[in-house]
Amino acid sequence: MNGHCTSRKDAKDEFRLPGLEAAYTRILRELGEDTDRQGLLRTPLRAAKAMQFLTKGYHETIHDILNNAIFDEDHDEMVIVKDIDMFSLCEHHLVPFFGKVHIGYLPNKKVVGLSKLARIVEIFSRRLQVQERLTKQIAMAISEALQPKGVAVVIEAMHMCMVMRGVQKMNSCTVTSTMLGIYREDPKAREEFLTLAKHA
Amino acid sequence: MERSKQGSLHGPNEKRDAGESAGKGYGTGGGRTRRPGAPAGDSCGSPASPDVETWREERARSVEDNQISLPGLAAAYTTILRGLGEDPQRQGLLKTPWRAATAMQFFTKGYQEEIIDILNDAIFDEDHDEMVIVKDIDMFSMCEHHLVPIFGRVHIGYLPNKRVLGLSKLARIVEVYSRRLQVQERLTKQIAVAITEALQPAGVGVVIEATHMCMVMRGVQKMNSKTVTSTMLGVFREDPKTRDEFLTLIRS
Repeated sequence: MNGHCTSRKDAKDEFRLPGLEAAYTRILRELGEDTDRQGLLRTPLRAAKAMQFLTKGYHETIHDILNNAIFDEDHDEMVIVKDIDMFSLCEHHLVPFFGKVHIGYLPNKKVVGLSKLARIVEIFSRRLQVQERLTKQIAMAISEALQPKGVAVVIEAMHMCMVMRGVQKMNSCTVTSTMLGIYREDPKAREEFLTLAKHA
Repeated sequence: MERSKQGSLHGPNEKRDAGESAGKGYGTGGGRTRRPGAPAGDSCGSPASPDVETWREERARSVEDNQISLPGLAAAYTTILRGLGEDPQRQGLLKTPWRAATAMQFFTKGYQEEIIDILNDAIFDEDHDEMVIVKDIDMFSMCEHHLVPIFGRVHIGYLPNKRVLGLSKLARIVEVYSRRLQVQERLTKQIAVAITEALQPAGVGVVIEATHMCMVMRGVQKMNSKTVTSTMLGVFREDPKTRDEFLTLIRS
């Protein structure tokens, strides 16, 4: 899992900004750029703030998001939210990876507000991540919050670290999945999810 | 302040010794050390205006420069990891500062390359006077404002004037200018100007369609937005029919 899950607060972000800014100024100079030219004058500050935004998931806890959006509902069919746009940062190269998340769960008397599924994706994806861990964290969070009969999460993403550099394969797509509960044990449930998530 | 043309580069270690922000850009084009009285780097001047650096006058970063700067870059990335609240000692992040530093040097490797080296032996005399187009050239760049990727496609067309260019060289020109900290407008213009100066063709057209992660991943967060810029020179600028033909052919 993501090491220690620090809950980063806004004030702390403000406090840390000058240090981040200085680091980005150094990066620009070490790359041979001229930090006094017009286009780069405020870049260290913008880049530092952008990086804080892209890792704002560390700020947020599942508890804050979910607490008041779990409802008792006598629904025992699959619920799917698919094509959730996801943006994350590769923790190995600090370069974006992005794609779509498809989530399905089989409720056990409790359902969750639909947008909360997308918010769970946001919390875990706005961090330095590895796609495998991201997939699992989303699945585990839903599992722990709802105790459903099963949870399925599939992520299809493009990794800029593979596209923009390294092997430079433009069209490669990485797919990971986590199946819990009935989605792991029952092939038919799994198949139904995969069909609905891909095609319907 | 004049651009320095001396043989020795202002290497990163020199800048550190000087202890000040005296760094001169290694051929970014547009906006670095300017000739006195020249307008600001990002303004839209004519192709021959002094604010767009001509390709013959660039200086290159070297592989040795990269090796020298690597520890400093890695240290900066370690600071960033800590500043974000992460633990640089956890397994997944142990070598990240080095990987990120090397990656960033790769993303700015355009500073290491000079157009003159790429082009010199691939200009051929050919009696061809119809449009030549190379389209859908994948392009990856870095936004100079947020240090976040830009990616898209470049379409290039030119009308030869007795001289043609090896086709892959058009893609290499795109690489040299895109692998830098860029602004899409400037990138478009630099590509067009480089081809103009190399070939003196009757005209050049460059169109770039790109997605800016700084608009998609953060800020306004518009997933599907695309930015389109173009530069039309010579007959592509003056003759609407030629321009139309180019724009139609790149769309088909």
